[in-house]
Amino acid sequence: MMAEQSFSLDSVQILEYQPNRHPYLMFDKVIDVLPGKYCIGVKNLTNNEWFIPVHFPGDPCMPGFLQAEAMTQVCALTLLTMEGNKGKVVLLTGCDKLKLFKKVRPGDVMVIKTELLSYRHGIAKGKGKAYVDDKLVSECEMTFTLADSDERRMLTPKI
Amino acid sequence: MSNLEKYNNVFCETLQVEESQLKNLEYQGVELWDSVGHMTLMAALEDAFDIMLDTDDIVDFSSYEKGKEILKKYDVEF
Repeated sequence: MMAEQSFSLDSVQILEYQPNRHPYLMFDKVIDVLPGKYCIGVKNLTNNEWFIPVHFPGDPCMPGFLQAEAMTQVCALTLLTMEGNKGKVVLLTGCDKLKLFKKVRPGDVMVIKTELLSYRHGIAKGKGKAYVDDKLVSECEMTFTLADSDERRMLTPKI
Repeated sequence: MSNLEKYNNVFCETLQVEESQLKNLEYQGVELWDSVGHMTLMAALEDAFDIMLDTDDIVDFSSYEKGKEILKKYDVEF
């Protein structure tokens, strides 16, 4: 059996694999994804983001929880690129250990490196780290599941 | 912390219930114990007790009390 190959996804292809859309799509492309293992995405932050005028006037930066959302959306592609999962909705069930180290501003290119730590009983655990200019700006761990999961349905008690 | 306290904490935190509700709690007995909540609960119990639950046990885990019986198979004594 051949080992699974990693690949990249451009701004159009990411729309095939996951259902988030502008203005809530928090990354622009994937530079490397290995299904079931890891995914590296890129977010180019601009002054046109919907949150920049309000967060904050005179001190524009990406909200920390949206950075966590960006890491989750990218990490979710480790599942969504697995066979049979393309385009499914992912539900976030937990976000832990969120740390924000540095403001991310318009003009910054955020590289989001995520890893799938485990995927058991239909529950995925992953972690993400975001970098600007090779410096760590934020990190978190997340738990998520597919909204439509046969595995999860099969494992629930029958009443 | 005793195993019972750990077990109760996982239930209370995951399903957002009071300890007084646990005794008769069953799958789908509260809003958060749905299919997603069930798997989140199983994952939290696995983490709390450092065990890996078998598929059959996850399906059989239909109530708070039943769960205690199941965990005994994994050497978790209450």
